[in-house]
Order: sequence, then structure tokens, then C-alpha cells
Amino acid sequence: MVDAAVAVAATDLASVQASQLGMKALGAGIAVGLTGIGTGVAEMGIGSAAVGAVAENKDMFGLALLFTVIPETIVIFGLVVALLLLFV
Amino acid sequence: MVGVRGISAPYIYVCTRMRVRKAKLIPREEYQRMLNMGLSEITRIIGESEYKQEIDELGTTFKGIDLIEVALSWNLAKEYQKIQEITPGNLKQFTQAYLRRWDIQNVLTILRGRMQGAKTGKIKEILVPAGSLDTTALDRLLGEENPERVIEALKGHHMYPVLAREFPYAKESGSFSRMENELFKQFYSEIIAEAESGIKGGNQFLDFIRLDIDVKNLKTLFRLRADAFQEDAREMHIPGGALSATEFSNLNLIKDQGEFIDTLKGLYRQKSLLSLLDEIREEKTIRDAEIRLTRVQLEQMERMSKRNPISIHPILVYLEKKKYEVFNLRALARGKESKLPPEKIMNYLVM
Repeated sequence: MVDAAVAVAATDLASVQASQLGMKALGAGIAVGLTGIGTGVAEMGIGSAAVGAVAENKDMFGLALLFTVIPETIVIFGLVVALLLLFV
Repeated sequence: MVGVRGISAPYIYVCTRMRVRKAKLIPREEYQRMLNMGLSEITRIIGESEYKQEIDELGTTFKGIDLIEVALSWNLAKEYQKIQEITPGNLKQFTQAYLRRWDIQNVLTILRGRMQGAKTGKIKEILVPAGSLDTTALDRLLGEENPERVIEALKGHHMYPVLAREFPYAKESGSFSRMENELFKQFYSEIIAEAESGIKGGNQFLDFIRLDIDVKNLKTLFRLRADAFQEDAREMHIPGGALSATEFSNLNLIKDQGEFIDTLKGLYRQKSLLSLLDEIREEKTIRDAEIRLTRVQLEQMERMSKRNPISIHPILVYLEKKKYEVFNLRALARGKESKLPPEKIMNYLVM
């Protein structure tokens, strides 16, 4: 009787732990996914403006590239959150 | 691809290109420097700027003032054609609609040239093939020997009915002003209909057209005052702006300048226009009033383009500013050739 109860408790604990791990993975996925979309939307505007500016004036290439990659920080924040969720 | 708030990447791309091009236009200080130069130096300065390609290409065929004239016209036409190529979707439709005004100018230039017996080459130099009539169509028109045949050759074009109706009167009176008015009325009514057809961005286009019509009507009023024209001015009114035909004709009948300005101030709401009206209260020459009105129009357009950065406004502002740059350079070159003093030339520049 006691053995059976212990076995059930062990199974429950394992399933809870598995579920927690699953939730963490899901959270990490959402963090990277949503920030990725945010970065994409932000880069759409900046990127098209940058290409327009470079098409008219080649000297603007460096500055335009710099501005275009600034929204990358958003997805990096998402990645950091995902790594913290998964490994800390 | 449609992005946030329905603004697509190609719109942002084109509006940025227009802004960069606008930044490359000749600044005020450069004009002031050019005022103290000779014609050859001005040609050299122009040849080192955005007009380099045209000056290089035409340098062997033309000399002096002719070189500047033709190079400026070619550059303007090339610029307008390029803009039509790169603008996407609705912006292209609006840009093409707005540039159709050059059809009126080109056809009238050909008709006037033919009436005065000018040489085909000379007429061709000042044409700007930016509207719906391209170089081939204009060449075909230039091939016609008399004005009647030029109009016949335009059969099927949207300008034809007005041209056919008004030409007999223009020929008889020797003045194209009524025909020009009618053509502009038709042009504005067509582009207003296009802007109001429900196409996205049409409202912004409409704001721009209304401002254009308002300034055009004001300029006409100032000209009529200068000429002391006392008949019914209704025919010269362009509908679609803030002034109705009755108000326009009543304004023309007001003799006192102060009363005229006060009545005008009651009819307009734009702040910049109101302050300008105060300034030109004492203005005596029509030319000054016109130039100042153009400056206010450009400032207002600039403000509109800042309020709607991703719309038809930045494109139209550039088209207008480019047009005035060409006008300025032409005025500068012509003035220098005629040996006019710099102060006098400066009055003709829109800076």
C-alpha cells in the first residue's frame, strides 16, 4: 500500500518537473519569437529608409547599416531572457 | 508588404529617397554666391552639381545660355521620369496625375511656338517631357506644321475637347490665356476627382491640390489687381480651393488694397498665409507678391510633408522644389546674360 503511494508521488513529481521544463521552454520560445517579430517590424522601416538613403548617397552606407542593426538589441534581450529561463 | 499602420516598406524607401534628393538641392547661400559670378562660372558650378551629366552630354552641341537652358530642361524631365519609375502603388498614380500639368505647358509651348513661327529645335529645347506625353509623342506634335494639325494630332487625349473648343477663340484673339485657364480648370477637376475616388492616401493628395489651387487663385487675383481688371473675373477662378467663384469675383471688385487684404484674411485659415497677407499689404509690385506667395506655398508644403512623412507629400514637395531650382538657375543665367544687376535678379529667385 505504502509502496504504491510512493510510486504515485514519484510519478506526479516527475510529471510536474517535466511540465515545468516544458513551460520554461515555451517561455523561452515566446521570448525569442516575439522579440524577433518586434525586431523585424522595426527593421522594416529603418531598413527601407536606409536602402533609400544609400541609393541616393553611397557615403551614408556605414551610418545606415548602424541604424538598421540597432533594433537587433530587442531580439538579443529576448535571447538573454530565454537563456536565463532555460539555464539559470 | 504592409507594415505597421499600413505603411509599406516601398513607401518609406521612396519618401526617404525624395528627402535625400531634396537635401541635395542648391542652397540659398550658393545662389547668393552665384549672383556675383559670370555666366561661364555659373555654367561651371552647374556642371559640377547634379546637372553634370547633361552639361557634359550637351557641351559639344550647345554653348552659353542655350547650354544651360537645354541642360536644365533635360535634367528636370529626367528627374521627373525617374521619380515616376521608382514610386510604388498609389503614390505613382498621384505623382503621374500631378505631373500631367506639364502636358498643358508642353502643348501650349508647341502651339505658341507654331503660332509665332519659331523653329522646331528652339521649341524642343524648352519642352519638359514629364507628363503623359513622352518624348516620342512630343516629337510627333513638333512634326506638325500648324497649330490646327497639332490639336488634331492630340485626338483621343483628355486635353483634346478643351483644346478643340478653345483654340478658335485663342487664334482669333491672339491670346492663349483663356485656353490655358480652361486647361488648368480641367486638370484640377480631374486630379481632385482622382484624389476623392477613395484611393488610400487621397486625402493628403487633396490637401496638396487645394493649397496649390488657393495660391494659384491668389496669384490670379493679384495679377488682376495689377492690371486693374474690372470685368467679371469668374472665368479665371479655379474651383476646388477655399475661394468660391463669387468670392473670387467680389474680391476682384474691391479697390482699396487694405480692404482687399482684410477680406482675404477672413477667407483663409492657414497661419502662414495670413501673416504673408499682412506683409504684402503695402507691396506695390505684383512680382514681389507672387514670389512671396510661392515661398509661402513651398513652406506650407514642407510643413505638410513633415506632418505626413510617409505619404505623397514628400514626393510632391521635392517635385515642386526641383522645379523652382530649375526656374531659379534659368532666371540667374538669363539675368546674367542680359547683364542685370544682382539685386534685380535676386527678386526673381524663389529661395
